Amino acid sequence: MSIYLPIAEISINIYLLLSIGGAVGFLSGMFGLGGGFLMTPLLIFMGIPTNVAVATSANQIVASSISGTMGHWRQGLVDFKMGSVLLFGGFFGSIFGVWIFNKLVLIGQIETVISILYFILLVSIGTLMLIESSQVIRDRIRKTTVKKKIHYHNWAHRLPFKVRFYKSKLYISVIPPIIIGFLIGILSATMGIGGAFILIPAMIYFLGMPTSKVIGTSLFQIIFITALVTILHATTTFAVDAVLAFFLILSSVIGAQFGVIAANKLRGEEIRALLAVIVLTVAVKIALDLLLIPDDVFNISVTRTLF
Amino acid sequence: MRFIFVIKFLILYFYLCFSVSALVIGSDEQEIYIDANFTGKDLLVFGAFYSDPTQPRDEKRDLLIEVIGPSEDVILRKKDSFFGFWLNRHSVEFRDVPGFYYLSSTRELEDEFLDNNKIGLLKSERAQDLDWSSLTIDWGNIESANDKNDFYKALIRTKDREKLYKRLNDQIEILDGNLFRTNIEIPNTVPVGIYKVNVFMINNDKISQTYSYNFTVTRVGIEEAIFNFSKNFPLLYGLISLIIAILIGWSGAEIFKRFRRT
Repeated sequence: MSIYLPIAEISINIYLLLSIGGAVGFLSGMFGLGGGFLMTPLLIFMGIPTNVAVATSANQIVASSISGTMGHWRQGLVDFKMGSVLLFGGFFGSIFGVWIFNKLVLIGQIETVISILYFILLVSIGTLMLIESSQVIRDRIRKTTVKKKIHYHNWAHRLPFKVRFYKSKLYISVIPPIIIGFLIGILSATMGIGGAFILIPAMIYFLGMPTSKVIGTSLFQIIFITALVTILHATTTFAVDAVLAFFLILSSVIGAQFGVIAANKLRGEEIRALLAVIVLTVAVKIALDLLLIPDDVFNISVTRTLF
Repeated sequence: MRFIFVIKFLILYFYLCFSVSALVIGSDEQEIYIDANFTGKDLLVFGAFYSDPTQPRDEKRDLLIEVIGPSEDVILRKKDSFFGFWLNRHSVEFRDVPGFYYLSSTRELEDEFLDNNKIGLLKSERAQDLDWSSLTIDWGNIESANDKNDFYKALIRTKDREKLYKRLNDQIEILDGNLFRTNIEIPNTVPVGIYKVNVFMINNDKISQTYSYNFTVTRVGIEEAIFNFSKNFPLLYGLISLIIAILIGWSGAEIFKRFRRT
């Protein structure tokens, strides 16, 4: 059975759509990631236009982030002050990102730029996950644990405009979190991702936030940024497909719950290595699309229809 | 009503009797509705054509049917290798090209004939003979006639692949020498708007009769309503998309939490 997507303007098999949403949801539930970095390329592979894939993916992340943030919220693991500072940067970043996006659509380079950005992103994530999971597996065999420093100072502590973040027990400048928020906002708007896998390490290593508060705070920031990105895309690129989003959200929210259950029962490292392989495979497919001679070097886009 | 019809019929009858030649057309649809389940349809065009009775019966007579869809602007981009990457490097904008074009005739007509009568978008594959004047084109950085011709052919090729441009011979069925019928394939990719059907009768390489009529293509259904809503009220549409996401995300987490507890 196929369904017509009104904004993407294509018909697509509904079971294929639900299984992709479910699978990405499952992986995101299992690893606590939004899954946008897999959702957007998979939608593009299915033949959905790049701009619709990006904008709709942002809308889907709002749902999966809300689903994931409830628990953290109730346990008080969200640093709202830090979240708001990140949001301030993210607000301008996502506006700037959508502006870049529109410019790229206009000059016809959006597909290429998105492909290259995704290739870089997926190769980095895949490689890091592969290294990390293999290290954990190796450490488990050797039965050693590495002790981490509780608190450390770096350049982020030497900048002006210092503010006290009580919940995170930090006294740092607002400039680094604003810059981080800004950059994540650009990525959200142009790639249709939440950016947790960049945001979380940045919060731990650059800002020195306690790990317990990082996930809840990053989800808080991601909800608002992807919500803003959804609105910005709906009003400027007109690329949010509500029908596509509905089926993706429905299947990914259900998939995520099963992912959480599976994560409690299975050993994480092997699965993480598997996810790394999936991510790298997607990256290779993107690279091939860029490097191989296309079937037809010409492509057409209708810019105006007369009603 | 019937009286008017009889009068019309009589007028037509006398017209047929006394004129040198005539053409009458009928069609089964004035309006085509495209919904989510639309997979394309065949538009039936039928009619009768009468020639001058003083002319010999074996006189060379041909029919040509042209369907022109609503016009649109398109940008055609060409990829080129750039340090091994295939990127869009050239773009040409064609303004006011028909979103659908169909040309069918009882025999293959010479391009010269089509050119002389200003019929056809698909009339020539030879660069020097192309009539660019009917199209407004922004060539960008494309200069040579050869490159221009490549773009022109690519436009037709891409539209042809979507079954939007078509040129056919021997699709028109002649029933008894004076009656004809043909099926025009309308694929589900057609743009909405007003379509013009031109039927030409050709006697000895000259157009002797022309008959034109319009039909409209409209999209209907919930998908169309969503599409229009997203264009007319983008902010509200974005907010609704957001609320749906929030509701499903939140309720999904709640339902499964309770489900796991029990």
